[in-house]
Amino acid sequence: MNTIKLYLHSMKMLLKSQMQYPWSFCLQTIAQIVMEGGEMMAVLLVVNRFQALNQWTGGDLLFFFGIMSITFYLTECFGRGITGNFAALIRSGNLDTFFLRPRGIMTQVLCHAIDPRRIGCIAVGVAALVLGCRQSRVIWTLPKIFLFTEAVFFGMLLILGLFLIEAVFAVHSVKSIELVNAVTYGGRSACQYPVDIYPGPLRVLFGTLAPFGLVLQVPSAVILDKPMMGIDGFLAFLCPLTGLLFFAFMYFVFQKAMKYYRSTGS
Amino acid sequence: MHFIEVENLNKSFAVRKKREKGHFTREKTIIHALQDVSFTVDEGELLGYIGPNGAGKSTSVKILSGILTPDSGKASVGGLTPWLDRKNHVQRIGVVFGQRMQLWWDVPIVDSYQLLKDIYKVSKANYEKRLEELVDALDLESLLHTPLRLMSLGQRMRAELCGSLLHSPRLLFLDEPTIGLDAVSKLKLREFLQKENREKGTTILLTTHDMEDIAALCSRVMVLGHGKKLFDGQLPDLLSRYDTLRTIRVRYNAPPDFSALPESCTLQKEGDNYIITYAPAKLPTAEIIARLQQAGRMQEMTAQSQNIDHLIARMYREMDL
Repeated sequence: MNTIKLYLHSMKMLLKSQMQYPWSFCLQTIAQIVMEGGEMMAVLLVVNRFQALNQWTGGDLLFFFGIMSITFYLTECFGRGITGNFAALIRSGNLDTFFLRPRGIMTQVLCHAIDPRRIGCIAVGVAALVLGCRQSRVIWTLPKIFLFTEAVFFGMLLILGLFLIEAVFAVHSVKSIELVNAVTYGGRSACQYPVDIYPGPLRVLFGTLAPFGLVLQVPSAVILDKPMMGIDGFLAFLCPLTGLLFFAFMYFVFQKAMKYYRSTGS
Repeated sequence: MHFIEVENLNKSFAVRKKREKGHFTREKTIIHALQDVSFTVDEGELLGYIGPNGAGKSTSVKILSGILTPDSGKASVGGLTPWLDRKNHVQRIGVVFGQRMQLWWDVPIVDSYQLLKDIYKVSKANYEKRLEELVDALDLESLLHTPLRLMSLGQRMRAELCGSLLHSPRLLFLDEPTIGLDAVSKLKLREFLQKENREKGTTILLTTHDMEDIAALCSRVMVLGHGKKLFDGQLPDLLSRYDTLRTIRVRYNAPPDFSALPESCTLQKEGDNYIITYAPAKLPTAEIIARLQQAGRMQEMTAQSQNIDHLIARMYREMDL
């Protein structure tokens, strides 16, 4: 409880410090809307040209795009401490400062940054989702709302977990940013579309290694009443938990890396 | 039981060299940052920690503050081992780095303090009382609503000190706190530290290159070089070992006659002044003054001991640092 209070307090303060530069904030937010809007246009163009991709209609594709954008940018907004530049955190000595305070290292990493500019991207995601729901005539029921929330929440944990890979490499002074970007930003780009349109290897990658498919898309398919890979009902509610598993595993690895950091010094 | 107990602390780092042509692997060199360092500190002491760059000062501060884990050896601060019991340990210490700011850059410092209050779980009543005390002592009243980035270096240092003391730590680490400060800020800072040490009984461990800091503040000084402890005691004792030469500067009304001056001292002429350098251990000061008076009618005379920085530089040279 205390940790959540600390997190909220930190976010409030960081927001205040971002607002010290209102013009910079406005311009960057607009730039982000344009960028993410461009991505949405790409989806719209695909829909226009082909009407459908396998069993997925244009509305369905917009839905997939929307849930991905919302999840990814919510994570980047509120988990900026992890999704930001972890190597810089080590270089600047900020990580050392975290060791000097009586709180968990992960808590402090999360509390040290926020990226409110992502609100533009989230708005685009919401627009795509609303549009998708209308075109595909999604009927929202209580279980579907629950499934959606669950997918977004565990999706955020999954993305945090993926970014933690970079943090762990950074502690071992290995530059991995391009490699990890392939699964984080690359995963976001690829999984804006349902994974079952991809060939086998990619499906395996995003089904098991970076399980966006299980965490976000299986629930989306159920919400669209077109179950993916035959997963429906109770099982669909279990799938997003792989995001939690992934995060838990990376959390464990991260703690080990912190032990290593303290014993090798800087 | 002493407040801080350090026993045979060792820490080494592996530094990889640049890969040589034709070799596949890079050569590693081991740097021994600390070798069998032992010492104790009692509660309420003000200990100065000196040594040239790379002597192991920062490493030992990092180990004692819980950032680093040593290779071997024991350390306890108030009964806790810093690297094993990190959270409980850091609740009782404060750390200030002269070259690195720990407060948030873009927000008024009072906002930073409120967040620190939450981080350290300080109760509201204690926080308010302590903040008032510190703001008063550090003269921060007019700065409370100014963001850190708009402050001068001296103001920032005071703001940092306030932040690191809000949770009333029993032990304060200061890593070169006066670096880059002007004379007035330095004096104020020293005065504050003395008061904090005297009135709150806060144990202070200070690393510095500024010998004036040590002379003004520390009852005890420890010299570290090449990762080993070379001296531990009082500053005058340290200085007397190396402070072997004195100089006297004299001016006469008429050209003097130095024929009676002993051979063991050296004589230099600088404008109208004569500078006599001698070793007080071999030649008593009273005697040399008597001889100087014989040489003619003195107009002015000043006796000086050597500059502390020179002494320390000589000490480092002799210790082969």
